[in-house]
Amino acid sequence: MITKLAYKNILGNGWRSLINIFILSLVLTGMIWMQGLYDGWSRIARRQMQEWEFAGGHYAHQDYDKYDSFSLDKSFAAVPPKLQDLIDTGDAVPILYSAGIIYPHGRLTPVVIKGIPAEQNILRIPTTHLRIQDPDTQILPVLIGRQMAKSINVVKGDILTMRWKEVNGAYNAYDIQIVQIMDTPVPSTDMGQIWIDYDKLNEVKALKNSCSVIVLKNQAASTYVGSPWNFVSIDQSMKGVDAMIQTKRVGGYVFFVLLLFLAMIAVFDAQMLAVFKRRKEIGTLIALGMTKRQIIGLFTMEGTMYMLLGSVLTATLGLPLFFYFGFQGFPIPQQMSDFNIAGASEPIRCYYSPIMILSTFMIVMAVTVFASWLPSSKIARMKATYALLGKV
Amino acid sequence: MNETLVQINNISKIYPTGEGGFLALNKLSLDITDGEFMGIVGPSGSGKTTLLNIIGTLDEQTSGEVLVLGKHVNKLSSKESASLRANKIGFIFQTYNLLPVYTVYENVELPLLLLQMKKEERRKAVMQALEWVGLTDKMHSRPNQLSGGQGQRVSIARAMVKTPRLVIADEPTANLDTENSINILDTMLKINQDIGTTFIFSTHDPKVIQYLKRVVTLIDGEKVKDDYQTGI
Repeated sequence: MITKLAYKNILGNGWRSLINIFILSLVLTGMIWMQGLYDGWSRIARRQMQEWEFAGGHYAHQDYDKYDSFSLDKSFAAVPPKLQDLIDTGDAVPILYSAGIIYPHGRLTPVVIKGIPAEQNILRIPTTHLRIQDPDTQILPVLIGRQMAKSINVVKGDILTMRWKEVNGAYNAYDIQIVQIMDTPVPSTDMGQIWIDYDKLNEVKALKNSCSVIVLKNQAASTYVGSPWNFVSIDQSMKGVDAMIQTKRVGGYVFFVLLLFLAMIAVFDAQMLAVFKRRKEIGTLIALGMTKRQIIGLFTMEGTMYMLLGSVLTATLGLPLFFYFGFQGFPIPQQMSDFNIAGASEPIRCYYSPIMILSTFMIVMAVTVFASWLPSSKIARMKATYALLGKV
Repeated sequence: MNETLVQINNISKIYPTGEGGFLALNKLSLDITDGEFMGIVGPSGSGKTTLLNIIGTLDEQTSGEVLVLGKHVNKLSSKESASLRANKIGFIFQTYNLLPVYTVYENVELPLLLLQMKKEERRKAVMQALEWVGLTDKMHSRPNQLSGGQGQRVSIARAMVKTPRLVIADEPTANLDTENSINILDTMLKINQDIGTTFIFSTHDPKVIQYLKRVVTLIDGEKVKDDYQTGI
């Protein structure tokens, strides 16, 4: 009965109802879209980092610190036998890091040299270009990313000199040739990075089958290896990016709160106005035998119905928007990819998880119900005789 | 002998004001028996509406005792008094108080929804009530499409649809012309005669007074006369 009466009242309220429903729909659409954007970004960043850098997680040498270039000279060790089996079956790939210097156009540029097996297929780095055809060649083939090439002003085919420190402390140098410039979406595989054949880097550093990290194809293959190797899961690897997206999300929450406030004001205003405008109606309903609880229920139900109808409008009018940004994506300006943020190199496709939609819906619903209940609770204190006279 | 429907024993009602309170009813006693067609008359401010509100369980006396259908009204919880109103008491208001967003049919159906009656039973009762007041052809109209007289007849149908024991009509003809007043009084009298519903009016309209079989006169909250008359 309450539902039927509430529905009738909403219909009877005409334009005021429509405006409320539209505002609620706007709030829901905005909240779902923004959350979808951040979730989509997070997913793209995770996928790209998995595809290009971490796959199913990795073992890192305990001395390796990505923020400390001095750690590169001590953070390597021989591949542990337990992981060698995985490498042999193609379920893991070792990567050796080394500090180095290149001289593009005669200018000194510090780089991180990364040795990766040319035949690996776990990461999307096009390592096949690193195959050395002539074992006696004095020019080493190397791969670099598009941003790196741009920053040091080199093109495919350019030859430059690269210098590094051997394990015994002696400095050595080789000529390198840029055999491929790759389009990697993960800045940490691009900026300041030179990719070279794993065996060759071991050889020129006077090492043998040593590496700094071992990337696993699947996290399920991880096992306890012991010192000096620490397993870093994909979630741990994503921490930095997740934290950055979370920071952006928190900024977005300010917008959500404003939207929610707007919705709450709309419903509160409508219900407050209704309480005053419909005092006589309330008095009549009490005289007809409605309890105060039923009357509060009626007004709260009206607010809830605004929300439900707002959801229907969201589903109808918001769907094209959701689909567009879900499939077409939200293009990120070029400048964003210079910020070392994974996921910012391709259009961000919004991702709308059922949990996100449901939780957003529940939050807006709770706020709406509260905003409807608040003015109607005043009715509980209203005397029927006064209400019938149009007083409060 | 008819059952006593309302027993009022020595009640007073004081409205709080800045100067110690306004005495709206002063030690008033009255019995109303089942099937009466009676009215409370008196000038404005004499306490007519206050008395009807107390009988209708919308208000409480300050002192004294009121029993409606055997129940002490000031001892009822808010839920119990709502239930008493929903089941046994119908109200007719001076300004009709129809809900503007509902059709005539839905306005009349409303009290039955509160009683959680089944749809088919509701339909029968609503049609019966609309027949009593001669408005079956207006069942799909909205209140703003009705004349004053039609609006008040819908209000009567709404009060009668649950066939209550008692109908309280507060100045039901105050907003109507003579022809419409007589029409609705005829309607109410017919219902009273046909099904024995008790009607209590508050009025100072001579047209209404002519119809009443019992007239209780109040002045300044006190009962000054209680006359039985033939009525029309």
